[in-house]
Amino acid sequence: MAFEIPKTAYSGKIKEITLGKGEKAVTVGGESSYPFYLFEGEMPHLPRIAMEVYDAPPEEWAEAALEPFADVVSDPVAWANKCIKDYGAEMICLQLASTDPNGLDRGADEAAEVVKRVSEAIDVPLIVLGTANHDKDTEVFRKVAEVCHGKNLILGPVEEGDYKQIGAAAIGYQHTVVAASPIDINLGKQLNILLGNLGVSDDMLVMDPTVSGIGYGIEYAYSVMERMRMAALTQQDDKLQFPIICNIARETWKAKEAKISEAEDPKMGDAKKRGILLEAMSATVLLLAGADVLIMRHPEAIKLVREMIAELTAS
Amino acid sequence: MILIGENINIMSQTIGAALKERNPGPIQQLVRDEIEAGIDYLDLNIGPARKGGDELMDWVVNAVQAVTDKPLSLDTTNPVAMEAGLKVAKNKPLINSISLQPDRLEPGLQLAKRYNANLIGLLWGAEGMPRDANERAMHVVDFVYKANETGIPNEHIWIDPIVSPVSVEINQVKACIELMSMLADIAPGCKSTVGMSNISNGTPHNLRPWLNRTYMIMLMKYGLYSAIVDAFDTDLIKIAKGERPEIVSLVHRMMEGEKPDMAALNEEEARYAKTARVLMGESLYSHSWLEI
Repeated sequence: MAFEIPKTAYSGKIKEITLGKGEKAVTVGGESSYPFYLFEGEMPHLPRIAMEVYDAPPEEWAEAALEPFADVVSDPVAWANKCIKDYGAEMICLQLASTDPNGLDRGADEAAEVVKRVSEAIDVPLIVLGTANHDKDTEVFRKVAEVCHGKNLILGPVEEGDYKQIGAAAIGYQHTVVAASPIDINLGKQLNILLGNLGVSDDMLVMDPTVSGIGYGIEYAYSVMERMRMAALTQQDDKLQFPIICNIARETWKAKEAKISEAEDPKMGDAKKRGILLEAMSATVLLLAGADVLIMRHPEAIKLVREMIAELTAS
Repeated sequence: MILIGENINIMSQTIGAALKERNPGPIQQLVRDEIEAGIDYLDLNIGPARKGGDELMDWVVNAVQAVTDKPLSLDTTNPVAMEAGLKVAKNKPLINSISLQPDRLEPGLQLAKRYNANLIGLLWGAEGMPRDANERAMHVVDFVYKANETGIPNEHIWIDPIVSPVSVEINQVKACIELMSMLADIAPGCKSTVGMSNISNGTPHNLRPWLNRTYMIMLMKYGLYSAIVDAFDTDLIKIAKGERPEIVSLVHRMMEGEKPDMAALNEEEARYAKTARVLMGESLYSHSWLEI
């Protein structure tokens, strides 16, 4: 008898979810096998990369990360446009860092105005992330959801402590939510159930398992994502059959290993190359664990990851 | 099944205070209530009891024995306190517990031998929690060998395969069951026990009994001899005493691969079936597991 390569028996499928509106809307999910196991199933939509834009000039960024955007850091609209025109971004992720109550503490109206301007200036899907302060995010997202009614923004992080408030705003004004749980598969499933009970429809939800970069516990994120996919694909767990979004740029670039200059520590080598590789390799690890959307920063890291996706899916 | 009541515990607000104040009233009342509920052994958990543990254990054993002659399960990690309890316990007590950690194993076994006591062999090794069923099995062999060498017969050994919370790591939940299925072959004559409520640690308080009961039924399939349980979960006690054969049969059939028609089950049966699916690793745990 000829040898037969054993195959995983899949019984489930990841939901296909459309992010954004209009011609540039993107669809993610739909996998019927483990990530890139194209010999066992399908991956009808390749993972997408959203490029980060900040709503205020970043502080304490590594030089390498700042350099490509040095001319646009004070203007989120210009920044977003640069990502799309110069670097071919298919999605934008606007980080509302300035709303942080422990930082600039900008108000909800001002934040919403920025989101509105960016959303009107671009036609690719727009992810909007708050600061994970429940009270502040609730205040900000209520306003953001309202002034961008019907644009199908992707709003997050929506956590157990604020899912009712932000979830309700998202339902009311037709936006997608990012259900974020603290690297815990059981709590991740629970939040999806709670959002479903609240009335968030299955095609308006993506999951954020909370990730970290290489050297900072990425293996935990990997393991949780892997188990999410096992439950979704082999145990028909429909509460986990959602696309996964990974907010990875921030995690890699805040690490000492990405920031420290070569002059400060010569044995660390070229700082630019180091930061880019750290981001690209962390993103690659998460792709292999099942990421559907990666939030990334450096154009060269993005280029490397795009090449990796192309090679992994080449027929 | 032998039931060991877990309720006399220093972590409880009323019992903690009573122990501290050497006030026997609340403890003796709880003892009566546990016995009334159908408990066979009384666990006396005085915690690590670093300071004055011997005097405390002596006191609480005497206070409890003033109202009952049921056997006691002496629950402390302090060997001096353990010995103080063994000295005054009248009805063959149970040492809860002796682990395989090098500094605990030998002195623990010596105590058990000296006082001719029953003992819980906790499968906690030098490297902590065993990773799977095989490591548990290895620990069983080690433990029983060392105990026999000390002169302790298998009949005195109650193996605890370690129940860990469902919300932490399902593979550990499965490994504990798997070890139970092997135990009779690896350690003939040994008994078994588990801390039943551990399975539901970290889950919503009002739902914990469903996990405790269902997991107990699953372990019963492989001959679980005893369990340390919440004395006041009346349904759990009924199950342990063989009064709910239809529920036990449902869970056991599921373990053999039967897929019950959920729509045909009544509400109670459906809850057991859903919980069994979670504990068998067929459905991932979430706090809302009974609702989906």
